[in-house]
Amino acid sequence: MIRLVAGLLIAAVTLALPSVLDESALPVYILLGLAAMVTVGVSLLMGYAGQVSLGQGAFYAIGAYTAALLALNGVPPLAGLIAAPVVAALSALVIGTPLLRLRGHHLAFATLAMQLILLSLAGQLEFTGGDIGLQAIPQFSVGSWEAEGATTYAYLTWAGVALVMLVTHNVITSRPGRALRALATSETAAASSGIPVGRYKLTVFALSAAFAGLAGGIYCFYTGYVAPGSFPVLMSIQYIVMAVVGGLGTTWGAVIGASAITLLLQGLNTLSSLPGMPTYAPSVFSYAVYALVLIVVVLFLPQGLLPAVTDRLVRRRREPSVRTR
Amino acid sequence: MSAFLTYLLNGLAVGCAIALIASGLVAIHRVTGVVNFAQGTFAVVAGLCTSSLLGLGFPHGLSELAAVLAAAVAGLLTGLAAIGKRGTTPLSALIVTLGVGVLAYAVEIVLWGDQPRSAPGLAGSMIVAGARIQTQHLLVIGVTTATFVLLALFFGRTYLGKALTACASNPYAARVVGIDVRKMGLLAFALGGLLGGIAGVLVTPLRPISFDTDVTLIVNGFAAAVFGALTRPVVTLIGALLLGVAETMAAGYGYGSHQLEVALGLMLVVMIVQAGRRSVISLEST
Repeated sequence: MIRLVAGLLIAAVTLALPSVLDESALPVYILLGLAAMVTVGVSLLMGYAGQVSLGQGAFYAIGAYTAALLALNGVPPLAGLIAAPVVAALSALVIGTPLLRLRGHHLAFATLAMQLILLSLAGQLEFTGGDIGLQAIPQFSVGSWEAEGATTYAYLTWAGVALVMLVTHNVITSRPGRALRALATSETAAASSGIPVGRYKLTVFALSAAFAGLAGGIYCFYTGYVAPGSFPVLMSIQYIVMAVVGGLGTTWGAVIGASAITLLLQGLNTLSSLPGMPTYAPSVFSYAVYALVLIVVVLFLPQGLLPAVTDRLVRRRREPSVRTR
Repeated sequence: MSAFLTYLLNGLAVGCAIALIASGLVAIHRVTGVVNFAQGTFAVVAGLCTSSLLGLGFPHGLSELAAVLAAAVAGLLTGLAAIGKRGTTPLSALIVTLGVGVLAYAVEIVLWGDQPRSAPGLAGSMIVAGARIQTQHLLVIGVTTATFVLLALFFGRTYLGKALTACASNPYAARVVGIDVRKMGLLAFALGGLLGGIAGVLVTPLRPISFDTDVTLIVNGFAAAVFGALTRPVVTLIGALLLGVAETMAAGYGYGSHQLEVALGLMLVVMIVQAGRRSVISLEST
């Protein structure tokens, strides 16, 4: 009951916010939603499949470039937006087939290498526009209706977040979801109970890539501009930070983590643009925040923000506590 | 032919710098099981320190030494963050070192700004067997050789070195005979910082270093360390030299823009081949 009310309340606030927020706050709201979308995928991958990907920004970039290239070549934007997650997932399948034989730090470095290679290629190839990138991407439109202003994009983004969360929720609560949880604890045990380990890991990898691709697709229509510089390595690290802060393997945690980090950075941004602050203040603040939050949470709050808080609430309600995990 | 020799020697020098970073990675990974993502940062810290100290008018030698020591301290601090708390798993520790690397960005920008910096090294060049080679390159090769000889002596002939090796081969047995495994882990991190620092000091005169150079350095170092499966120093050295020569040859013969892809592609292939030969159970039991 409480869950339902809370869910409805959050949905209502989410829907009301775009019409309330002003010009300067809306872009933050949209970027927050995009980050949340990717983070849900990262959280699924890290929490359930037990794999660290430092290359999630690469799939974001693939989605953005796919949608941008299609839209620039006269394909309807809606088709482009649908193609973005599909292409991202397909490339994850292709890349993941050899890469997911790796695990732990090997996989982390391999995915980082993948993003570096991809960015370097995008900066050199002719059809991706080189280092300058792609410009003048048309507005998002369905039929004769065309998206105007940031409010529409805010609704589009959060519809995407809702879709991603719904898909994730269904995956987690299904039979494959249980298999994934088993897989995260011990691959050997999972394999000996008949779980096709390789195929499941690949599927989750592709799913998380699709989420990132969808976010990338929306991003390219919103900004109207895509370049290799828009997808730095730090971006992939940022998603890890958000997922870890929110609590790995929790759908809501990912959204909360993304919100917490985005709002914190935004607050510091305002602070650093005050008169008297040095010009390097914004970047220093953002690096410091990512780093400190990541270190503190990994060391002292390994479950993440959301599980830590809900655990405490539940324990207070029914004492004495029995920890099932 | 002389062009080939020049590329070969330059490549060896580049490979030596990679080898120093990679051997730091290996030293830390052998003892603690942690892959240190901040390894490139140590080189950057040392390089930036040298350029500052030289700029302040300190003599050569002293500046370099101080910079290397600063990197060793950075290594120790990284170690404290990564393994200082009991019960940190290696993968959590990897994420912590990632955080340390990003934190270092903030500190470096405050101290040195975000523009690349360079430092004067040994000027001039020499003719070796008909090939012109910069003196700094020879210095890099010489210092690296000396460092590796000292490392071999340290691990083979001193009690401290043998204690480190003991922790690497069996932490439980090491603890039983009275070796403080955690302290040895911190020592390994300091050693890793020292090695990274030497690499940074040597490389800064060759190519300018900025706060985000560490990504290239760590990726190259990891690629080399992967050759030796992150545990064998000699294979790592060979891998690093091969990598350096391959990259320099690719750049020299006109594929310069694909230098990074060559290194990364090579690393991926080696890792995937190695992964096929390891069994899952051996990894999970540790």
